[in-house]
Amino acid sequence: MIWNRLYLIYGIVVVLLLGAGAYRGWSFTSVNEVKNVPKSIRDNPGSYRAIYAGYHHYTGGK
Amino acid sequence: MSPAAPPQVQSLTCPNCGASLTVRSMGRAITIVCGHCHSILDAKDPQLRILQRFDAATAAEPPAIPLGSRGKWRGADYEVIGFQVRSMEADGIPYSWREYLLFNPYKGFRYFTEYNGHWNDCSVATALPEAQGISVKYLGKTYKHFQTYTATTTFVLGEFPWRVTVDDAVAVTDYVAPPYLLSSEMSGSETTWTLGEYINGADIWNAFGLPGAAPTPLGVYENQPSRMRASASQIWFVFAGLATAVFVIFTLSQLFSGREEVFREAYSFSPSSTEASFVTPEFELKGRTSSVEVQTDADVTNRWIYLNYALIDEDTGQAYDFGREVSYYTGVDSDGGWQEGSQRDRVVLPSIPPGHYYLRIEPESDASLGIIGYNVTVTRDVPVLGLYLAAIAALLLPALLVSWRVYNFEQMRWAESDHPLVSTGGGE
Repeated sequence: MIWNRLYLIYGIVVVLLLGAGAYRGWSFTSVNEVKNVPKSIRDNPGSYRAIYAGYHHYTGGK
Repeated sequence: MSPAAPPQVQSLTCPNCGASLTVRSMGRAITIVCGHCHSILDAKDPQLRILQRFDAATAAEPPAIPLGSRGKWRGADYEVIGFQVRSMEADGIPYSWREYLLFNPYKGFRYFTEYNGHWNDCSVATALPEAQGISVKYLGKTYKHFQTYTATTTFVLGEFPWRVTVDDAVAVTDYVAPPYLLSSEMSGSETTWTLGEYINGADIWNAFGLPGAAPTPLGVYENQPSRMRASASQIWFVFAGLATAVFVIFTLSQLFSGREEVFREAYSFSPSSTEASFVTPEFELKGRTSSVEVQTDADVTNRWIYLNYALIDEDTGQAYDFGREVSYYTGVDSDGGWQEGSQRDRVVLPSIPPGHYYLRIEPESDASLGIIGYNVTVTRDVPVLGLYLAAIAALLLPALLVSWRVYNFEQMRWAESDHPLVSTGGGE
């Protein structure tokens, strides 16, 4: 019985989190957040150092 | 109905060794075993005729509940008057268990059995079970056949309301419906049915005021109730309710998600260009904080393009950096046609606040691949299917775990039976 109560509480928490996630637009994508990006980026996009630049790319095929 | 006679205790003398014998169930005892020399005596004979002698030291099989112990059990006072050890053999391995005979002058006899710390409270069945295949039905409950074996008495002490001798052998068949156990004992043409109920040793220790603690049970006994079994069926009921709630949230999100396209533009990239990075025109994300999908469709047949994206809030300077590769390869080899990758990539960014945004895009590719055209589409408030799948998985996991433990428990129970399940594992 205690297991069922614990599971019910756990399940309600999961469902509430899901509801909150659905409303707030959660996803599993990992993004890097950078604060205070200067407005000059608009005029000089090359001055921004992208975190993922130079990341290993897939270059294959079969 | 006249009241039953009060309990009588009579002292006699063993005709073999002269030790005094205390008889507690006068008039009911058929056999008395001398606690000193272990002579088995005929209690119905005024001279206490010796029926059998067996060579054993009481210390070799000390009863965990001493003879003469008294306690209140199921609302009546009982006294332990007899003790016997019985054994059976399975696959060449002997197994022994202990039986304690209890007596109350008004209620009669019952006995406790103990094996590896597992206890049963047993009494003679009040009705004849009906056979149903290899199971039996008793008082509306079906008992599954567990095992059939020959039980041999190896040690006796105290007094018994039946003729008991060491090396007595009877054919026993056990049927189980946890926490109950129904046993038939067949000796010659006589069959006796006994109903047992699994009990905690601690309850016996409390009822009879025994010193110390009851032995810890080892393994799983044939009629031991599974603590998880009731939980398992109810947990799936709860799971069904919670899964329905997940489905309702999913349906609502499908119905009410904005899926608002806020930006779409076509670009082309020349890998030989000196400065690849650029920014898009500004677009607005309205409404509440929500997911934002960035979709890239690129003309990359047997080519690839990698895009360093930064979604930048014009007002706050907050940037969300991410990289996406779009590649698609196709061809024909000895196995036939093949293809890998896709010309479309989608990514959903989590919890982006409303505001005025633009994308900084920095494409990369191999200079030999030529100019690559691609489209970028930004859509806000997109449902994320992965969230619902994760929620279902999170709900499913504990339910599966409980069910697995119940199954494992049953495996261990039936491993000791004539009908073992496939394999054995750990218990609860």
